[in-house]
Amino acid sequence: MTFDVVTTGIALLTYFGIFSLMAISLNLEYGLAGVPNFGKALFVSIGAYTAGVTYTRLLPIIAGHTPLNPCGETLGQALQLRSEIMQGQPVAGFVNFGITLVIAALIGGVVGYGLSYITLRLKEEWFLALVLLVGGEILRITVRGYSPIICASNGVAAVAQPFSFFDDVRTASVAYMLLVLVLALMAYIYAERLTRSPFGRLLKAIRESDRVAQSLGKDAARVRAQVMMIGSAMAAVAGVLFAVNIGFVSTNDYVVALTLDVWVMIVLGGMANHRGALLGVFIITVLDRATAVVAVQLSMSDISIEFNYVRFILFGVILLLMLRFRPQGILPEKPQTTQVADGFARTS
Amino acid sequence: MSEALLISSLVRSLQTGSLYALMALGITLTFSVIKLPNFAHAEYITVGAYAALILTLNAEVSLVVVLVVAFVVAALVALLSHVVVFRPLEEHQTSEYTMLLASFAVGLILRYVLFLLADTLEIFDKRIQIGQEIVFRSDALILTNIFAWVVPTSVFMVILLVLLLNYTPLGREMRALAVNMNLAQIIGIRVERVKVVTWLAVGGLAGIAGAFWGIQTSVNPMMGWFAILSVFAAAILGGLTSFPGTILGAFVVAFSENTLMQVLHHYLGLDFSFKPAIPFVIIVIVLLVRPQGFTDFFQRLRTNRYER
Repeated sequence: MTFDVVTTGIALLTYFGIFSLMAISLNLEYGLAGVPNFGKALFVSIGAYTAGVTYTRLLPIIAGHTPLNPCGETLGQALQLRSEIMQGQPVAGFVNFGITLVIAALIGGVVGYGLSYITLRLKEEWFLALVLLVGGEILRITVRGYSPIICASNGVAAVAQPFSFFDDVRTASVAYMLLVLVLALMAYIYAERLTRSPFGRLLKAIRESDRVAQSLGKDAARVRAQVMMIGSAMAAVAGVLFAVNIGFVSTNDYVVALTLDVWVMIVLGGMANHRGALLGVFIITVLDRATAVVAVQLSMSDISIEFNYVRFILFGVILLLMLRFRPQGILPEKPQTTQVADGFARTS
Repeated sequence: MSEALLISSLVRSLQTGSLYALMALGITLTFSVIKLPNFAHAEYITVGAYAALILTLNAEVSLVVVLVVAFVVAALVALLSHVVVFRPLEEHQTSEYTMLLASFAVGLILRYVLFLLADTLEIFDKRIQIGQEIVFRSDALILTNIFAWVVPTSVFMVILLVLLLNYTPLGREMRALAVNMNLAQIIGIRVERVKVVTWLAVGGLAGIAGAFWGIQTSVNPMMGWFAILSVFAAAILGGLTSFPGTILGAFVVAFSENTLMQVLHHYLGLDFSFKPAIPFVIIVIVLLVRPQGFTDFFQRLRTNRYER
């Protein structure tokens, strides 16, 4: 296998876009509102499983076929039907993709709101982190054990991206990359606007002291549930994009390690600073790809060191060094002033 | 459901429960004394198991020596993580999520260092070389010498820990730290020394549990990580503060994973692939419904005793 710069670049930017959505959502939740969401994998997986369901049930109906059972004896036929539709009927593919994004965002939002509404009332705050972490594992084990969703541990293949009707593979991947980047950019602009809005200031106030916010008549639990809803919907969208990008929905991808990756990104880049989060995502995805390339190159030469292990050690060390020496991240949170405060600063 | 199946699952519950107790007491101890929900605890278990495995692969030694080596190595690794990572972070007065994240990072590093080690020495999924022999056999039940070791050793270690905590000056200092760190410092308790001893005890117990775990199944770098959430479930059942609660919790978790799972499988047709979800469901239910775990129950027992 030769090293192809363009292909690697496209893959890198696609991953950058997908993880940007996850990192921005976590940055809204933890950076701004102080909700320690250790269940990012849970909400990302909701999106991925949604894609698994719509691609196997909804897509054939939109394309005018009767859906086949995707798991049993008709597995091969169903798979072939899916890829034929994705290649031959681009409109059906796009409609299905759009509906998938909407459904995923809705389910993610509702689950995020519901779960946080319960868990935010827990005795200690880090219990929420634990419940969400464990919730992701429960969902994973359930989906893996209960066949009708995504065929249990077999997963669903041929979850193709909507541009796969292009004959040229590179054109298709560039188009998908652009789609992902546009979605990520929209999420970034939305997050920036949200941060500067009164709601964003309220989130920061609650992060600093929910008692003070409550004494001013704000329902801290409800506001946090709202930000969890926004973040979870965003994470579910990222999950759809993630699953569609690799073209396969499997329960093995949405483990605690995914959550930790996103945490490393925002701790590295800067909490409560969306530009920082994007920087963190960029550094980590570049490192990730670079170590993957090095691993492949090494495995072809005689050096018998498994570089994929080194990658995880590297991530752990980066996280520890950041927590110890620069807990605010590379780009720290910007102080926020209002025009009135600026006026006071000028007069005094 | 056949009697043999039930009895053998009960025996397994007892054996796993004792090991969970050893591991979960460490979680509770770190949480009370160090104020840290330590996810790197999983890797102390794996470190102990690997220390034992490498020893038995290279020399023929008795089980006691194996356990001592597992204890010492895991204790030293736990202490190392305290000195290199957790103590510097504590001195910077960081938030508890920072500590939680740091414990994940420490676990990640240790786990993949073990992966590298296992890869170079080619020791994946090997059993610790301790001869298994059958000590008791009947129609319904076969007991090996491993069972005869695991349960008494765990009980012995737990009793030792309880004695240490309740009847020695050091244990008193540990409990003082657990109740109020600042006050303990003011009245002249050497906090750092107490913490060092705590880390050694926590790591050592996890190491012994890991060695036993590797004797009854096999050793791989993920073993601790796969066990850790069951262990957390046990500690959470103990309210993360109560030692008797944690021990009871360990047996409840082990019982649900083995016997209850067997019963559910038999009567409701629940597939065994759902078994790993059991400790998670326990965690969620306990945290949502009864975050104090069994703590109240044991406190009530104690107050009743004094009132009488």
